[in-house]
This record gives sequence, C-alpha cells and structure tokens, in this order.
Amino acid sequence: MRRPGLICTILALLGTGSAQDLQVPAAVVAGTQATIATTGSGKATFYLVGPGISRKSDVVLGAEISVSFEELRNAGHYVAVLCSSECRSASFFVRAAKPARLAFLVHPSRVAVAQADALSGVALPFDRYRNLVLAPVAINFQLSAGNTSLLSRPARTVDGVAWFRTTSGKAAGIVQATATLDDLSARRAIQQVASDPCNLRISGQRSPAGVLVQTEPVRDCTGNPVTDGTIVTFTATGAKGMTTVDAPVKQGVARAQIKSAGALMISAACGVVMGNEVSVGAQP
Amino acid sequence: MRSELRRMALVSILACFSAVPLPSRAQDSAVQVRLDSKRAGPRTLENLTERGIVRDYRLAWTSMSRALALNRPDLLDGPFAGEAKQWLRQTITDQHSGLSQRYLDQDHQLEAVFYAPEGDAIELHDTARYRFELLDGDKLLCDQAMTVHYVVLMTPSADRWMVRQLQAVPEF
Repeated sequence: MRRPGLICTILALLGTGSAQDLQVPAAVVAGTQATIATTGSGKATFYLVGPGISRKSDVVLGAEISVSFEELRNAGHYVAVLCSSECRSASFFVRAAKPARLAFLVHPSRVAVAQADALSGVALPFDRYRNLVLAPVAINFQLSAGNTSLLSRPARTVDGVAWFRTTSGKAAGIVQATATLDDLSARRAIQQVASDPCNLRISGQRSPAGVLVQTEPVRDCTGNPVTDGTIVTFTATGAKGMTTVDAPVKQGVARAQIKSAGALMISAACGVVMGNEVSVGAQP
Repeated sequence: MRSELRRMALVSILACFSAVPLPSRAQDSAVQVRLDSKRAGPRTLENLTERGIVRDYRLAWTSMSRALALNRPDLLDGPFAGEAKQWLRQTITDQHSGLSQRYLDQDHQLEAVFYAPEGDAIELHDTARYRFELLDGDKLLCDQAMTVHYVVLMTPSADRWMVRQLQAVPEF
C-alpha cells in the first residue's frame, strides 16, 4: 500500500527548477473573486478542483493567479495544485454567501381542524448560488387565515435548518403558512377541512314509500360542516329485524329512505359518533 | 553476475523515484459508512430508515468516485439530485481537459443532526476520511490523505434516499 503523499514527496525531491509554492486564501465567500499567490520563477501548470470546477491553466510563477467569482460559486472544499518541476498543493474552503432564497417544506397540504401537532414546516436558507447557509439566521414562521393571524413563531436556524410544529386551526378553509427571513419570504397554502362529525342528530317521518330519515346539518366539534361525501349509517330496527342504509352527506345533510310499513326505531352513526334515536310508528 | 545485480539495483532505485504513478487500488474499494442517529430530531430515525440512509449514502460516494474517476456523469443519475448532482456534472464536464479524481480508502462517520417532522428531509454531518488523488491523464499530480467535513441533505424518493446537498465545511 502506498503511503499518502508519497508521490508528492518524491516529485518534490526530484525537483530541479526553482522552488515554487502557492498561498491560497484563508476564507472565501461564494461568488467572490480570489487570488492565489505563487512563488518561484518560470512557467507552471495550475490546477484547481472543487465543487463544480476542474480547471487546468498555464501560469507564470511569481505572479498571482486570479480565480473568478464564477469558479467559486459553490461552497465547499477546493484543492489547488501548482506543478512545474514538482507539484505543490494547498486547499481552502468557500463558504455560502448571504441568504437569497428560502426553501420551505410544509406538511400536510390538507389537514383536519383541531388536530394536535398536525402541521409542520421546515425552512432552509440558501444563497443566490444555492449553497446552504449554515450561519445562524432568524426566521419567522406565520400562519394566517384571511387577515387573522393564527401563529407567529420566531426560530433561529441550527446547522442551516429552522422548523416549527403546531396544532391545526379551528376553522375550515385556506391557511397561509409563511416563512420570513428579512426581506425574503416563502409561502405555502394549506387546506384545513372539517374534522370528524360531532353531535349527530336525526329526524324521521313516515312517507308513502316507507320512512324518510335525515340528519341535521352535520358538523364537527368546532362547527365546520363536514365534507360532502362523508358517510352516515342509518340503522332501523323493527319487528322484522334490522336494516342499515349508508348515505353520503350532500350539502351538509345525509338522507335515506327506509322501506318498511311497521314501527321502527332508527339511529345513525358516522365514524365514532353516534346520533340520537327516533321512533317512527307503523303505517296506518 | 555483479553487473546484473548492479542493473537490478539501478532499476529498483529508478522505479522508486519515478514520477510515473503507481497503480491505484480499485476505485470502487469498499466505502465504509457508519451512522450515529442519537442526535436526530425532531423525528426519531427508525431502524429501517437508518439502514436505507447508510446504504444509499454509501452508493452515492461509490457512484461519485467512479463518475469523477471515469468522467461518466451518467453514474450520478441514481443517487444524486438537485444542487449536488448539478455541480458534480459540471465538475465532470470541466474534466474533459484530461483531469480525473480518485477518492480511495473512504471512511465516513455520519451523524444525523436533523430529521424533519414528516420524514421528508434529513441533514447529516459526515466526517469523511479518504485518500484523494488528482490525475492529469496518467500523471499523478497529488495524492493526499484528507479529513473533510461535509454537510449533507438527503431527501427520499420513490425507492431510495438521494443526496441533494453535499457541502464541505472547515468544521461543524
């Protein structure tokens, strides 16, 4: 197994030209120009490899090597190598510039109201070259419905990430989630929908075809009409046994026709919620 | 006999001091990856997820090493996405002047520092140790043992975790 650095050492021992060296910058901000100082005399070949760059160019020893801002757009680790009769290398880091955009992940896009810790968001600041900004910055998370503010929570990024988690609001409708960093902001829309039904109430009346039974407007526990299509199960118990009918909620109300001439005891259920019972007499 | 010994000794000395690169070990030599998930939060990292991340991060470095050694951007298509894939492709495009890079004897100590509440992103700190070689054609320009710290963002796709950000930093 070769020892690390063996080749570079051998090359250095064999050097016959004037000794050259290079001095790289201590710290560089992404998207800024930098210079690399060289010593020695004569011609040499300069190499620069790093994230998104692999450059080879002829240079004159003793002169400064200019590295353009475009070559240093990506934050990360760069290795500079200078070769004439021998090769010398040095490395340096480019760090992210100031934040220029926010990545904002919000979950879920549709959520039932009043659910504990159901909403969460993650914000990551990036500079204009899409490098993750790791220096701590303050981000403010906000939730609003119309002109009503539901949440305002400041957070500081740690390792380039800030996040929040909260309970969903009480009213169905669109909620705007916003992450703000100085004059930067990112916004996402969340659809809040009614939760499970609450206080299910039904009424029934005899009709020529049997019994027409229907619910009052079905709402969740915070008063939002449940989503159309929610299934309500009606159960009728009479002298001939038990009958069940599933009916979807339409415009807030579920209806069903139960064909029976005899007296019935009818109840309703939706999810885990039981409604009241109604008694309908036999057909005269 | 004596002249033969002298010739062999001379050849040996010349071989030792030759600038011709010695053959490198296989570029896809095993990439060691270990993950410490004790600090991961706010979501807890499940065992199955942890194994998937280790598997896919190892694949990412294996693919990256081969892509940069062979100048084949197609090898990046599976494990990389977003910004990481873009700059790696750009590096390979630039290397058409004859340059290539090798990452050998890789050892990655990962630490999960953030796992999103819904599990749709994870940030890792990688203390990577490897031997870095830079070649111009067949000429070995540099061969260094390095320890580099990387901040890594990975996101799940349909069947794997993909590296979206791979950003070296001086320290964590």
